Amino acid sequence: MGSKLREPVYILGVGCTRFGNLLETPEIMGLSLHELAAQAAQEAMADAQVDPKEIDAVFLGNVTYPTSLLPATYSQVADWLGIQYKAGVHFDAACSTTNVGITMAATGIAAGVYDKVLVVGLESTLSQPKYLSPYERTTIPTEEMWLWTDHCVGQAYSVPQGYDIFPTYNGINALGYCRKYGISLDELEHGLFELCRTRRLHGSLNSKAIRQETLEQEAKRMGFDDPWEFWNSRFNPHVAWPSRLYSVVTPADGASAIVVGRREGASVSQPVELKGFGISVMDLPWYGDDPTVMPIDTHSFKKAYDMANITAKDIDYLHVHDCSHIMSICVAEESGYLPKGQGLKFAEEGRLRFDGDKPMSTHGGRHAFGHAWAASAGSDTYEAVKQIRGMADARQIKPFPKTAVIHTHGYAMISTVLVLNGGN
Amino acid sequence: MADSIIKQYYDALGKGKLLGKKCKKCGAVTFPPTTACKKCGSNEQEWIELSGKGKLLYLSHGMAPPPNPRFAEIAPYAYGHIKLEEGVFVQAIINGVSIDPDTLKSYYERGPVDVVPDIMEVKGLNVLAFKVM
Repeated sequence: MGSKLREPVYILGVGCTRFGNLLETPEIMGLSLHELAAQAAQEAMADAQVDPKEIDAVFLGNVTYPTSLLPATYSQVADWLGIQYKAGVHFDAACSTTNVGITMAATGIAAGVYDKVLVVGLESTLSQPKYLSPYERTTIPTEEMWLWTDHCVGQAYSVPQGYDIFPTYNGINALGYCRKYGISLDELEHGLFELCRTRRLHGSLNSKAIRQETLEQEAKRMGFDDPWEFWNSRFNPHVAWPSRLYSVVTPADGASAIVVGRREGASVSQPVELKGFGISVMDLPWYGDDPTVMPIDTHSFKKAYDMANITAKDIDYLHVHDCSHIMSICVAEESGYLPKGQGLKFAEEGRLRFDGDKPMSTHGGRHAFGHAWAASAGSDTYEAVKQIRGMADARQIKPFPKTAVIHTHGYAMISTVLVLNGGN
Repeated sequence: MADSIIKQYYDALGKGKLLGKKCKKCGAVTFPPTTACKKCGSNEQEWIELSGKGKLLYLSHGMAPPPNPRFAEIAPYAYGHIKLEEGVFVQAIINGVSIDPDTLKSYYERGPVDVVPDIMEVKGLNVLAFKVM
């Protein structure tokens, strides 16, 4: 493997819809997936100051076919983006889709095949077309959404024999973390509570997040003066003991888009360089004796750091896949950004907040920003680019981060790491 | 008709056997069986029968209704992370264990416990589950 980009590659523009519910969230309510994709793509092209006709290729990704009915997304959506007669492909890397698309674009650009590529991820996890209607949608039961999502994982043996993501990617990992580092279950509970508070704080500062209430505000609304009491109430049940509902993903609908290209000829004044990336995949089981470490993450971080010629000490801002809050701590520690066994303590001390010394997931993460499978990795890149440019509004990291690392787990399991660098 | 590895695995479960593959090159065991050694990638493998004995390392539970409707009648169920004595890891339903927090906590505090297969037929499919010894 060459492990180097032969030419510099840049993120020229980013776009992202509000993450929410197509049936009820005002900014996206009533949109089709074609229109949802266009909203994100047009924002990204405007941000990059790129005319649709300048785009050489479009890579569009979507995971759950039953909710989109877009098995050949590019060919169905190209007309809606003003991009015809160009190269394009539908692809799927599950929850790493948009960022894997960035790496596909980067390799095409570095090889000299393309100058500018538009990458789009779109997803609805909350509704599906009603009676095959082109514009009416209907809610899908949570378990049905997971049935379709689980098409991404272990269909030979795991899923047919009772696999469930919540113990495999939450409960067992949390227990492994406690045993490995001698952390009590009470300490775990309080650390996860504080981590949720941080994620929800970030969501409350982000107009595109699905959850814009802080945990304290929600507790109050539900009749609890003490958010800790709310945390331990029936409103926050265990989804996979010892992990609770508010330590996991909030499914959402949404789209994200990224314009990737060369620096030469780009109009945008604040390009962010893609310094490196690493991808590593495997099927279940994702770990052995130690549920806190997935070997794919070790590989993907190393590949990305080597390509970018950085170490963990160079990272100013880290996003890791956090549809499981405990796994986000495990991965952040594996990345080298947080010291081993200290992640929950850092959360307790507020150090993972946007104004802390180890900021993470400042858009709110999968719990507060929401998770729209194929679109989510792009939302993470969107946030990192905005942070590097100093355009993250009330949740802006100061001083502005220069080096950002974005990790995603694409179901399952596609560990993807991007290293971005920019700013003044 | 070609012999499907997957079908042979499930058929063997119906006879109480856990089938895997052993690599002729490096000796590693791949379980459940596939077309390549999980350690070295070789496709030169032979069938082996695993003992099924293992240690339950961690125990949690799944959701209800479950994502796979096959298990609707038994969800929510205990679900565990197991190391088989051949050195491979498997995650599976653990029968006969309540999923209330106190019970699950007691298993966590107790540490690894011995488990053996407790194969079930669930709506026409043989499923590898385990039970605590």
